[in-house]
Amino acid sequence: MAGMHALHKILANCARPKRHSVTPGEFLEIEPDIFGVIVGVNGVEAKRMTADLEELGITEIPLRDRIIAVADHASPAPTVAIAGSQKLWRDFFKAHGIRTFDGGAGVSHLVLCEEGIVRPGMLAIAIDSHAPTMGAIGMYSTSLGGGRLTLYAIGRYVIQVPKVTLVRISGKLKPGLSGRDASLYVNGKLGQRGAYNNAVEFAGTFIDALSMDMRFTFANMGTEMGAVTSYIQPDKTTLDWVNQRGSADYTVYETDRDFQYDSVHELDVSRIEPQIAVPHAPDDVKAVSEVAGRKVDQAYIGSCASGRLEDLAAAAHVLKGRKVHPDVRLIVTPGSREILKAATVLGYIQTLHEANAIVTSSNCGACPGLHGGILAPGDVAITSITRNFEGRMGPGGEIYLASPATVAASAIEGRIASPLQYLSAERT
Amino acid sequence: MKLTGKVWKFAQDDINTGLIRKQMYNHLPPQEQGKHCMEALDPEFSSKAKPGDFIVAGTNFGCGSSTPAHYSIVALGIPAVVAESFGSLFFSNCVGGALWPIVCPGILGLVETGDTLEIDTDTFVVRNVGTGKTLQGVALPEIYRGMIDAGGEKPYLKARLAAERA
Repeated sequence: MAGMHALHKILANCARPKRHSVTPGEFLEIEPDIFGVIVGVNGVEAKRMTADLEELGITEIPLRDRIIAVADHASPAPTVAIAGSQKLWRDFFKAHGIRTFDGGAGVSHLVLCEEGIVRPGMLAIAIDSHAPTMGAIGMYSTSLGGGRLTLYAIGRYVIQVPKVTLVRISGKLKPGLSGRDASLYVNGKLGQRGAYNNAVEFAGTFIDALSMDMRFTFANMGTEMGAVTSYIQPDKTTLDWVNQRGSADYTVYETDRDFQYDSVHELDVSRIEPQIAVPHAPDDVKAVSEVAGRKVDQAYIGSCASGRLEDLAAAAHVLKGRKVHPDVRLIVTPGSREILKAATVLGYIQTLHEANAIVTSSNCGACPGLHGGILAPGDVAITSITRNFEGRMGPGGEIYLASPATVAASAIEGRIASPLQYLSAERT
Repeated sequence: MKLTGKVWKFAQDDINTGLIRKQMYNHLPPQEQGKHCMEALDPEFSSKAKPGDFIVAGTNFGCGSSTPAHYSIVALGIPAVVAESFGSLFFSNCVGGALWPIVCPGILGLVETGDTLEIDTDTFVVRNVGTGKTLQGVALPEIYRGMIDAGGEKPYLKARLAAERA
């Protein structure tokens, strides 16, 4: 029997009936450990879900103790229509005894990990294309496409067992660069279909030395390579982080030595400059110096890609004692309340306020273009968000993706700028 | 079963869900999303497309967000999308909505907009009715085929639950 990847062992364990082994390409019916949902913006769907479950004769949702709802998209509600829709979803969750993290808790992938609800070795299905973010702790976390009614009604989901792409990264970044620069570089090298419909595993000496905050960034950006899930093998860094979250109930699966990866990419990040993805593709990545000087209207730091404490620290470092350019709106959306509280205690939030940044509550913010910084046609934005698809933050807006430090430096200058001059040694 | 319809071809690769139906229309009732179907690429599309027509597309159609952009296609009465390949989230969304997602390498070379295409949902052979040329599409797994044949996720579950309760 061919060796199995850790992700395949997780799938085998969650398959119904349970399996000893699985083969890439086959379709499995699985029962997830966690089903992550959002307090939705479409109320018609909430009404229909209630009606459909009634019609199917489901009075108790089988997975109700494993379903977690988070109000992260368009929360608090920006419009009357969305407020009404979210109310219908809240009523639905309440009626079925589903635990809900309401507005301000943060982005679902961050909240579920921080709360210790998801842990290594688990399998989560979540309604959000960036669910692979949670793979940073060594679990199988994938996004829900179709199949929501099936999950609510019978607690099952169909997964095609993915092949695995290994991305092995080595090297040490030059001073002033962050994990997001490395992540952008990797996305640029692999492209939007670099791990198309595969799982992607990030490994190598660079990943070994990386903080959890930046591991989440890498796992998050697996989505932008077309990966169905991301994975980083748990090590001491992972387990130290997980153990602080309260529960020791987890399993670390190991990949068999003779496992055959579908493809292996070796990348070295030791020589890269600050990186930027230009409109309208997350894999159209260049050095910041190639587009420096482009005027920006809005700067945005946040999202499940780069809204963590280390990201806010980098932004505060650049902005300390400086002001945002008067023609620019700099919006900062911490990824979760935990991050917002920590950043407040550490003084980063005060620094951001002093610099005239707009600091918002914790949520998905402007990233999905629903509220909190929608772009006007013709607006140019430099951001740390997940993807720069055309019109994502508002029809006709142009989105650049970069590290929080690059976003902060650009906000100061009113044009795309390298952060390196703001990160000189005497300021550290 | 054989489906026959007129082709609307969107030849580019990586058409993401935001181009199929902009995220700003996500809150609309599914039936009303039809008028915004593909409008980012062809503002007239929803008025030109007729029930029974097909969308033909390139590689990675429906990549990006897990948003149920397929609602906009279903609302127009389009029964199938034939593409070189699909984004996986959009693909399974289609199945739940009883919209056939047919993976068919080479399809961009087989048909043009306005051609009549025939899709055999048992063999997954697709045929350009005008030229007679055919291509072999990729068969859907049994569980997905059963769901679409049943009329989508809910009718499938109804039958399954009835069988389990019997």
